[in-house]
Amino acid sequence: MGVQLKISERVATMTIEFSEEGSLIDFGTAYALSDAASEIRQRDDVWVAVLEADRGDFCLGTSPEVVDALLGAGSTQTPLRVGQTLADIEKPVICALRGAVQDQGLEIALACDARIADSDATFAMSQVLNGAMPWDGGTQRLPRLIGRSRAMDMLLTGRRVGAEEALGIGLINEVVEPGKASERAIELASVISRHGPIALRYLKEAVLNGVDGTLEQGLRLEADLSFLLQSTQDRSEGISSFLERRSPTYRGR
Amino acid sequence: MMPDESTVLFQKEGAVGRLVLNRPGVINAFNVRMRDDLYSALEAVRDDPDIRAALISGAGDRGFCAGADLTEFGTAPSQVIARQVRWERDLWGLFGSIRKPLVAALHGYVIGSGVEIACLCDLRVAADNAVFRMPETALGMVPAAGGSQTLPRTIGQGPAMKTLLANDVLDAETALNLGLVHRVVERDRLEEAALELTERLSEISPALSASIKRGIADGLDMSLASGLELEYRLAGAVAARSVFLSAG
Repeated sequence: MGVQLKISERVATMTIEFSEEGSLIDFGTAYALSDAASEIRQRDDVWVAVLEADRGDFCLGTSPEVVDALLGAGSTQTPLRVGQTLADIEKPVICALRGAVQDQGLEIALACDARIADSDATFAMSQVLNGAMPWDGGTQRLPRLIGRSRAMDMLLTGRRVGAEEALGIGLINEVVEPGKASERAIELASVISRHGPIALRYLKEAVLNGVDGTLEQGLRLEADLSFLLQSTQDRSEGISSFLERRSPTYRGR
Repeated sequence: MMPDESTVLFQKEGAVGRLVLNRPGVINAFNVRMRDDLYSALEAVRDDPDIRAALISGAGDRGFCAGADLTEFGTAPSQVIARQVRWERDLWGLFGSIRKPLVAALHGYVIGSGVEIACLCDLRVAADNAVFRMPETALGMVPAAGGSQTLPRTIGQGPAMKTLLANDVLDAETALNLGLVHRVVERDRLEEAALELTERLSEISPALSASIKRGIADGLDMSLASGLELEYRLAGAVAARSVFLSAG
């Protein structure tokens, strides 16, 4: 149980290692994910991150001890909103989804910027079936991602959605053969890691903050970030490399 | 191309204003002159009461627009001046202020600002050979013609984020499935199909099309309650006008 963090060629891979008891987010996993997220935020040599589970299901939800703590019983530890911790990473985060992606597991996936799934993966926000509701961003991020009508369907019925349907409704970005999601997520991260790192962070900020305000506010933010980028060496390198028909070498400056 | 030839051709065909991005030698790459010419043409669309809808397309075989002309980048004296100029001549804001239906006819390369211009239009028709791409982050930049705002609003946050981060290539069929374009036609039928659509939109009464555009654009920026209030007021004004006109 824990999270392995591996960094190679500007891509950080967070691998959740669940215990034998099941793929549930307990206190240990939550804090380990939070620590990994902090490290990814702080390290200049990480430009893109991938989140995966080592085997079996991506994540079935929250462990009973954390649920008890949510109810104010049985623990002095505070339940951690892992989705929020991941969403706070300014760099692009891609998740590789396998098996069941359920409840808090799906909420964590929604907090990432791109979702790649095995074709036999399934998705559900099934808290309602246990008389509960999402608490790690599910009621907010799901409607913003797939639209209110589809989100209401998933949230109220708790039904399980297959990978093809998930792709069709925009819940995930790509479907790959069973067992290939991690490989594809790392490949995508590698493509993105060749782009300008400051540009990637600003783009993420512009998209995520922009959709929350008016179009006018969003256009102002985009323009200001774009002017700020004009002061970077990376932007000059991007333009020169294009004009000289070569690959750019970005430094994050 | 003659040096004094406009980078945006503009003409009226009945109630339709036709704008053609006209730098075919460089796949209509967007430069400062094109910004100014497009600004003038759009002002004419906005101000000419005879024009009730407009169609924007790209000259030449290779594409609608290959994006910003990077040979001109870095020529602005400073970020401070660049920012000032951006809002003095707010081309992208001008697009948003036009209350007449705007249609984009897209073929071949539709890259960067090409996609952004298309997203500022109301309806998009694509040729089957169209390919779409947002290469800004690969070039160390972010979109600067509204793409980080208009693309998520057009195709949804999930697909937009990945397209923008990864410089994904979207073919016409993918663009159709994502809602980036409304219709795909054979390359040699593009002009006819897009013009036919624009002519149909030009037959809608100007007050009505303006109210529908305003209801959607302004409404999306409001709470649902305010948007419903706006819709009710706009519909009332349109109905009153139509009663008045039929009585006259």
